[in-house]
Amino acid sequence: MRYLRTKKFSSRVLFYLVLTAVFIVTIFPVFYTLMGSFKSNMELLTDGGRIIPSKFIFDNYKEAWKLANFKQYTYNSLFLAFFIVVGTIITSTVAGYVFERGNFRYKNIIFGMVISSMFVSLGSLTLYPQLMIAKAFGINTSLWGVIIIRVLGMNVTNLFITRSYIRTISVEIDESAKVDGCSFFRIYRSIIFPLLKPLIATLAILTFRFAWNDYLMPMVFTLSSPERMPLVVGIMNLKGSGAAASSWNLMLAGSSIAVIPMIIVYLIFNRYFIQGLTAGAVKG
Amino acid sequence: MKNKNNNKGSSSQIKWYKKDSAQAILMLAPMLIGFFLFTYAPIGYILRYAFFKSNGFKETFIGLENFVRVFTRDLPYWKSLNNALILTFGKLAVEIPLALFLAVLLNKGRKGTGFFRVAFFLPTVISAAIAGLIYSLMFGSFNGIVNEILQSAGLIERSINWFSTKGTALFVVGFASVWNNFGINMIFFLMALQSVPKELYECADLDGVNPIQRFFKITLPMIGPTFQVVLLNAIVGSLKMADLILSTTNGQPGGKTEVVMTYVFKYFFGYDGRAIEIGYASAMAIVTAVILALISSIYMKLSNKLGNSY
Repeated sequence: MRYLRTKKFSSRVLFYLVLTAVFIVTIFPVFYTLMGSFKSNMELLTDGGRIIPSKFIFDNYKEAWKLANFKQYTYNSLFLAFFIVVGTIITSTVAGYVFERGNFRYKNIIFGMVISSMFVSLGSLTLYPQLMIAKAFGINTSLWGVIIIRVLGMNVTNLFITRSYIRTISVEIDESAKVDGCSFFRIYRSIIFPLLKPLIATLAILTFRFAWNDYLMPMVFTLSSPERMPLVVGIMNLKGSGAAASSWNLMLAGSSIAVIPMIIVYLIFNRYFIQGLTAGAVKG
Repeated sequence: MKNKNNNKGSSSQIKWYKKDSAQAILMLAPMLIGFFLFTYAPIGYILRYAFFKSNGFKETFIGLENFVRVFTRDLPYWKSLNNALILTFGKLAVEIPLALFLAVLLNKGRKGTGFFRVAFFLPTVISAAIAGLIYSLMFGSFNGIVNEILQSAGLIERSINWFSTKGTALFVVGFASVWNNFGINMIFFLMALQSVPKELYECADLDGVNPIQRFFKITLPMIGPTFQVVLLNAIVGSLKMADLILSTTNGQPGGKTEVVMTYVFKYFFGYDGRAIEIGYASAMAIVTAVILALISSIYMKLSNKLGNSY
């Protein structure tokens, strides 16, 4: 009996030891970055072995914010993320609704074409033609190009999530609204959309994470106009510039500005993150 | 009379139907236009330009010459593809078992597991580009904390210049990528584990099955379908890795750590002082897409047993 109890106890100790070890490796880089953002550049370059700064320097943030344009980058990131999130919520729910409840010719063929894009998607390899097409419409030098491509580009995962969610809403609600004279669009606006609230939270969170962290597409759309860069692009731009070695403190302050809001959003809404990801990837 | 009414009803129904479907098409139209413009048209663009020589201003038709060049004269392309494969399989060999192992631990429902779950998922919300930046600082040759830790632990004598050789550089990139992605796979596994009926384990316990048998004979087959999809996503996602490479090694030293996505990307945009060769980049994009599709379908064939394991 005692043998069993000690065995149970030691397995529990082992359990927490393993998890704590992984926890340290997981959290350390974030912690190190946050601490690094308070170090002087000198300390970053010569005394990287120290985790806690010898002296906390808040000027890094001030300098990044004012001199290195991070104020503008932050604004651009918020701008980009806001419009992509709002736009994606609208297009995803509309597309999910139309494909689930709508009736029109070629519906299944169109749906098939949208779905099959998942398999021919080339990722970053289509960035150049996308940029050229945006150029034809004169939206290649602003973040609007990125917003339009992301919003209208129809994210297949989002489409799957909304479509299967709308399927769970009883069709009788639609039909009784129809009897009362609601049009197809009106049913979406007054009945379906308000019922999608929990899903919208999930969509918003996932899209925010994607838009806020996106790098390559906003980069190629702002190559020639640094004042339009979002945070991640701005930070990378600093790294690629000749002054990289002398601006680690700014890069780390910038990274913290980019990472902290994301972490806060995640910690508050982590339930939605996890729901959305699992709904999209496994059940979809 | 009755008949007439019926007729009226159905004709108004048809009207309704027509009106509704017109509205449906109108609602979908902006997305459809955007979709064809920004998803299908780029593919058409690449298919066309693959047969041209173009620097963005001047273009000449050269037939299959671009493809001949990929297959016969461009060793660095195949090396970059090889790097992507090495990186993918190297990192997934760690990432997937780690994610599964942690999911099994967290599924025990002991105290504090919620906390660990939230923490382990946290790196996933950080941009891959920023993750690369953080890791290139931590693995810096003179000022990196990793060297300091290894030295003070007595594991190495002199600082390692992590980014100076291909092997160590790819190791760092792989490490960063595992850090950045294992949380998501862990969550998928955790969800799958939670749907395994508890009775199965109870029966197994009665039969005196040991934990290792339990894992391989019950857990793994039960989460097989999830495992198949998660692994496919992880393979394709890793082969398409670009941000992390650009923000850590950027192909250095001497293009030895270039992966296929960054290699082709640089031909499209003339990034890093390379000449812009849109035609050639398009041809490489097509070859890459076909190879990725082949890898996915071979994987699906091979893993079908996993997907249908119960």
